[in-house]
Amino acid sequence: MKLALRDISVRFGGFKAVDGISLAIEPGTLVGIIGPNGAGKSTLFSMVTGFLPHGEGVVSLGEADISRDTPFGRARRGMVRTFQVPREFAHLTVRENLMAAAPGQSGENLIDLFFRPGKVRNEEDAIRREVEETIDFLKLRAVADVSAGRLSGGQKKLLELGRVLMTKPKLILLDEPFAGVNPVLIEELSGHIRALNQRGIGFVIIEHDLSALSRLVSVLHVMDQGKLLASGAPAEVLARKDVREAYLGGAA
Amino acid sequence: MAFWIELLISGLVAGLVIGLSALSITLVFGIARFPNAATGDTMTVGAYGALLGHRATNSLLVGGLTGAIAGAIVGFLGYWFIFRKLAQRSNVALLVASIGLAFVLRAILGVSFGHSQQVFQLPLVRPWRIGDVPVHPNDLVLAGACATILAIVFAILHLTPIGRRMRAVADDPALARVSGISPSSVMTVLWLLAGAVSASAGIVAGIKTVVSPEMGWDLLLPAFAAAIVGGIGSPVGAVVAGLLIGVVQEMATPLVGFTYKIALSFLLMLVVLLVRPRGLFGKLEGAR
Amino acid sequence: MEAYLIAILIVTAIYVLLSLGLTLQYGLTGLINFGHVGFFCIGAYAAAILSTAGSMPIAVGLVAGMLLAGLAAIPIGLVALRLRDDYFAIVTLGFSETVRLVITSEGWLTKGVQGIPGIPKLIDGVGTGPALMILALVGFANILAVIAFLRIVKSPFGRMIEAIRDNEDAVKALGKDPARFKIQVLVLGAVLAGLSGGFYAHYIGYVSPDQFLPIVTFYVWMAIIMGGVGRISGALVGTLLLMGFLEGSRFLRDLLPFISAVEMASIRIGAVGLALILFTIYRPQGLMGDYTRRK
Repeated sequence: MKLALRDISVRFGGFKAVDGISLAIEPGTLVGIIGPNGAGKSTLFSMVTGFLPHGEGVVSLGEADISRDTPFGRARRGMVRTFQVPREFAHLTVRENLMAAAPGQSGENLIDLFFRPGKVRNEEDAIRREVEETIDFLKLRAVADVSAGRLSGGQKKLLELGRVLMTKPKLILLDEPFAGVNPVLIEELSGHIRALNQRGIGFVIIEHDLSALSRLVSVLHVMDQGKLLASGAPAEVLARKDVREAYLGGAA
Repeated sequence: MAFWIELLISGLVAGLVIGLSALSITLVFGIARFPNAATGDTMTVGAYGALLGHRATNSLLVGGLTGAIAGAIVGFLGYWFIFRKLAQRSNVALLVASIGLAFVLRAILGVSFGHSQQVFQLPLVRPWRIGDVPVHPNDLVLAGACATILAIVFAILHLTPIGRRMRAVADDPALARVSGISPSSVMTVLWLLAGAVSASAGIVAGIKTVVSPEMGWDLLLPAFAAAIVGGIGSPVGAVVAGLLIGVVQEMATPLVGFTYKIALSFLLMLVVLLVRPRGLFGKLEGAR
Repeated sequence: MEAYLIAILIVTAIYVLLSLGLTLQYGLTGLINFGHVGFFCIGAYAAAILSTAGSMPIAVGLVAGMLLAGLAAIPIGLVALRLRDDYFAIVTLGFSETVRLVITSEGWLTKGVQGIPGIPKLIDGVGTGPALMILALVGFANILAVIAFLRIVKSPFGRMIEAIRDNEDAVKALGKDPARFKIQVLVLGAVLAGLSGGFYAHYIGYVSPDQFLPIVTFYVWMAIIMGGVGRISGALVGTLLLMGFLEGSRFLRDLLPFISAVEMASIRIGAVGLALILFTIYRPQGLMGDYTRRK
């Protein structure tokens, strides 16, 4: 499912946080977006996923123009995002967080809840099985029954990824997945991302950790002051002088 | 045709009442940042205050002053004893407390004055006739009085230092505090003003119709509606929207019937909240 | 004496059901519903009209009241749910006043200000037997409501409600619309209020528009604030306190005959107002801060 952005701009008062960005992300690819702080990367994510209703430009997913879609509408189409600061459901356990993420639950519908308890029970069982697999995949077995609010930063990031996976996405937008995470976990996360990409899931990743990112992605886009500065294979892009100046000269 | 113009005129007078009470609401919302449900019952206080003043001196002017002062005092006391203590709390807390205040005011008035409707004993004046249309001189006096009150309020807001401070607080209370402006003198003037303005609305309503303990609360919804339609936080918007709603309500009466008048303002409010939440002149973050 | 006690218990049970509806709405979604009496009114009038002019069996009127009240909650939810909380409160207040306005105007259906008399009792007959059966019926409805409440809390629905409370944006990012959940809770709370209204109509035997003034909504708010907001036990305890207050004021009038009925009504309003003010100022937790969590 191709994600196409055409002339995306986001204005905050007089200031253009994102300025006329156009790019396309082919289905099933691993793409990175880098840039100095304040370049507009997270704003772009928020706009594309529908969390900023006041942007300009066209966002299309596959054949569909989703520029007017609600954030949950876009997620239902298979494009889901994580947040820079993890947004776990703090009062639910890890297991419950994952179960809550599964789509299409009739138990979330009062009519089905009261009048089709058998159906609800069956669905819960099926979801629970899938959740157990996800817990194992992410190696969160030890904390499965712990309240998500009490997890470490790295564990919360894993949980966010797990939740996103429960929605059976086709394209995952990761916002700084490696930030504040120890190197071992970074390798683990990268491994998960590669494995999932093998299964056909596309990724767009915002990151500051250039080395981890360039080992992972096949295409790198560089943003600076809201504009797209460069795009291409990681090695080439990182070798460019203007990229080095913008990125490393800025408040990286 | 004369019939419609008559309705237009009575709509404008009703609109003045709604506009003034909406002005009070929008001032409080803009500066103290919550919807003040005690506005209606402050109107009633004003009406009864004016009634007493008028009965004592037979002068409508004195009555108007006593009513306005009563309203100002109530506004200030509400701030001093209740809203000041809730300054750090959520807007819902303030809203609930204002409902409590509204009930307390209504209870006091009900016990003091009884539930029967009372009227201002004014000499009967024959309406003038402009063409086919009857124009009541009282309406003109009331309109004039309202215009004067509005002029005073806008003068205070735009021509005095305290008014400037009030507008600064409305734009950003944190900023205003930081630049050394003490919030509580702003608050004091705000509540005195808001109380006097609602009281004036109540006095006009009382003169045009009757005075009873429930009258203010009954006018609260149209007042809220006007404040929202006009754009919450915009004094001009409140008055314009008030006039608009007053006229729409009166002119639609032959079509929808007398009781549904008030439902119209509610409907208008819903439409605005759906379509253009910041209202006609609003600039605040709006409804969400 | 017995008859009086049973009567009090029946009215209490009716109000507990009404409070449970509001508790559900506030406790689960934190919505500030200032128009609860509107749903109560719809239920009462539906039962009244269908059992008198419509000559339908009582059960039909009760069910119709529940359905109509629930349906009325849907447009409110769709329009007002995404507004900020104080705007939502104002809109719901407007809703209940509009309901009262409609009831007052459409006299051909509702007999307007005069009201509808002669509503049949829930269970026919005089004496303690039928009265106890009525109490059992209303009590049973309450038990069902509590069971429903608990079932919801421990279900996938309840899980999502908790998730929404923790992080609404994350819920949206997973493809779910928080409003969908809030509306369902709003509707269910309205259904309970509608049923309560139906019971009320059949118990009092007479309905008129001024039995459904906003003060009733705030009686219920006061009850759940006093009892402990957002908790089932709070609805029960608070309603008992409310009944004590309402009955107590009636006794007070018997002791002090120089206070007229209207004056007592004013005093009651003043007492509710004072309670609202004092609770808001001195009870910092509960109502306007964090509404209850299931743990």
